[in-house]
Amino acid sequence: MAAVLGVSAQYHDAAAALVVDGRVVAAVQEERLTRRKGDPSLPREAMRACLRLGGIEAGALDRVVFYENPYAKLERVVNGALRAFPTAIGLFPRAVGSQLGGKIWVLDALAETLDVPRARVVPSEHHLTHAASAFYASPYPRAAVLTVDGAGEELSTAIWRGDEGGLALVEGIALPDSLGLLYAALTAWLGFEVNDGEYKVMGLAAFGQPRFRDELARVVRLDGDGGFSLDEKYFAHEHDAELGFSGELERLLGPRRAAGRAWDLDGSAEDRRYADVAASLQAALEEALVGLARRARARTGLDALCLAGGVALNCVAVSRVAREAGFERLFVQPAAGDAGGALGAALVGARDLGDPRPAPQTTTALGEPVDEAEAAELAAALGLRAAPSDDPDREIAARLARGEVVGVVRGRFEFGPRALGQRSLLALPRDAATRERLNRVVKRREPFRPFAPAVAAEATERLFEGGPPDDLTPFMTSVRPVRPEARARLAAVTHVDGTARLQTVGEGGALAGILAAVEREAGLPVVLNTSLNGAGEPIVGGALDALGFLLSHAVDAVVVESLVVTR
Amino acid sequence: MTARARAARALNRVVWRWPGRDARKLHAFARAEEGSRVDLLLAARRTSSAARRALYLRHALDEARHALMFSRRAAELRLASGRPALGPPRADGEALFDRLGEVRFLAFVHRGEARGRAQFEAYRGHFAAAGDARTRALFEAIVGDERRHEEYTRALLVELAGGERAARRALRWAAAWEAWRAWRRAGRFVAERLFVITMMALYVVLAPVGLAMRFSSRRR
Repeated sequence: MAAVLGVSAQYHDAAAALVVDGRVVAAVQEERLTRRKGDPSLPREAMRACLRLGGIEAGALDRVVFYENPYAKLERVVNGALRAFPTAIGLFPRAVGSQLGGKIWVLDALAETLDVPRARVVPSEHHLTHAASAFYASPYPRAAVLTVDGAGEELSTAIWRGDEGGLALVEGIALPDSLGLLYAALTAWLGFEVNDGEYKVMGLAAFGQPRFRDELARVVRLDGDGGFSLDEKYFAHEHDAELGFSGELERLLGPRRAAGRAWDLDGSAEDRRYADVAASLQAALEEALVGLARRARARTGLDALCLAGGVALNCVAVSRVAREAGFERLFVQPAAGDAGGALGAALVGARDLGDPRPAPQTTTALGEPVDEAEAAELAAALGLRAAPSDDPDREIAARLARGEVVGVVRGRFEFGPRALGQRSLLALPRDAATRERLNRVVKRREPFRPFAPAVAAEATERLFEGGPPDDLTPFMTSVRPVRPEARARLAAVTHVDGTARLQTVGEGGALAGILAAVEREAGLPVVLNTSLNGAGEPIVGGALDALGFLLSHAVDAVVVESLVVTR
Repeated sequence: MTARARAARALNRVVWRWPGRDARKLHAFARAEEGSRVDLLLAARRTSSAARRALYLRHALDEARHALMFSRRAAELRLASGRPALGPPRADGEALFDRLGEVRFLAFVHRGEARGRAQFEAYRGHFAAAGDARTRALFEAIVGDERRHEEYTRALLVELAGGERAARRALRWAAAWEAWRAWRRAGRFVAERLFVITMMALYVVLAPVGLAMRFSSRRR
């Protein structure tokens, strides 16, 4: 029996996770506490929060596991830059500086920060920790595991076999062939920020036609057997870490879109062309991912698949894998990106020390709880109106029925990019105008971005195609077609392609009470559920962030546990 | 008028007329405001008083708004000149509340607000004279907030330090600490340049190794 802290940091979205005696006690992204979106720095605040939530001192930790091997990464970075001679001359000092100036010392920094013996701090491997975060958290005793990411130490993609004996690498695809880097490069070409704009590309793709498939087939070649390779001439990862694409790509697809220019998909033929490229990229990614999943099935002979790595956050591609790859069951680690590596690292460490697998993951509410008393005190100091409600679910439902947009802050905040009812912004899903209001006024983001519905599990098949809830739907990691007859009543959450990234809420789920009350008020147990944050902001963590959100965004109320706060 | 404000006024023509410089400078202001937001939110989390937590939170929200205003104007200027926007203003906090304690943190923030206000007043005047109403209005809006921040931090500083004399002492300490920080930053700037040159030289020296690696990987 052991206490293991897993840590991911120094690339993007740093996090910490604590596993005690095989049980996941806490998992926290640093950004939620430092309020810097995707904060990559050593997660001092998140580590402290995990220890606080676990009620243990750092000295009681049996092991601290870093999610990747910094020495292997240094070797890869230096070798890559040297191989690219002379084009990487501009990037080499920055890459080496960042490695030698901090990254290479991360294990020592962890030991010093936590004040634990250096021998207790060990590195793991990037793709192993992703695989562990998915497999050990899944409900499957045996499964194929597919990890697809931008970059690890050497691998970008890996197929694993998970069973009672643990995880065994079946095969991997090494850098520079990487679906994550492909998507990142095209994200930059479309004028979005890498590591932040990938969701935007996925949303944009639904507005386009994949008429650039032939061009994309030159950029990423699928070998028909699940393998793929990138044509390096279209990329510039070794000498331009920010853009990642070369002039050749612009010659193939046309000039990049200027970052920061407003989108006009109705009036601009040029923007519609960019949407077509996004659609072609999405199609290429889906085909590659389906091919990899089929290969994983063929190589392992197993009926269940677990997915992790940043690419697994592409819920449209995941849904296609679910439909076409031949697996009976599919689970995606809800924190599939690098933050989830912290959870995987902790689980790898716990297994190494002989602890059992944790119970299957049923919630992402692994962060710090909100303090209602603090919210009440702060609301008074800010001059906000705040009153406790005897029946907050009914109060929220009544407000939503009046057309209000309400922030909900309850319990422990979520781990991963999705708000699943603990830090959510809710509205009724029936009017398309609600989507416009939320995108333009509240979240101040691109008008094409879709919103997701949270639906009571028992109503799922009535409103959405694709059968009953599965292992994906509680975590909003897949999309389903909205039944045609339901689309008018779900206009705000039905994307242009007729799908929705739904979240099903079972009995006892964070939103179950609200959905029941909404059904009584408005007839359908469905709400629009989006994360409680504005553009470029991390999702709300505690009471301070919640009231700050209310003060700075055009929402009608924020409900902190049972406290209803308005301006 | 502070030395920085005098310098800002004197250098206005050069600073703002340099092609492309205007957007980069506004974006740098956005980053500074963003860094200040992060530090103020940390202060709001750490302080023991709900009243001060509320003040720091409101201040942080102002800084977030300023960062957005600066970065949007910078993006407008960039796009108008046919260049892509510079992206969202990312900045680290300095954990100043943890490092300095609340009294010295307030002294530091107060000095920064006073300096920023004076500097922005100079820029506001420059853009008014240059007939750029949009950028003038931007500085006008922010100068008002900076003045308010300057006043409340001064009042809090006197209260927490325990009187006017103690507050002045904290301000003198903050001035000295800022000078020391500027010296260290200058040192880091020079060291970074030296490192870049050294690494570039090393890269060239290692070129044969790289070429051999590339050759051998092609053969494989």
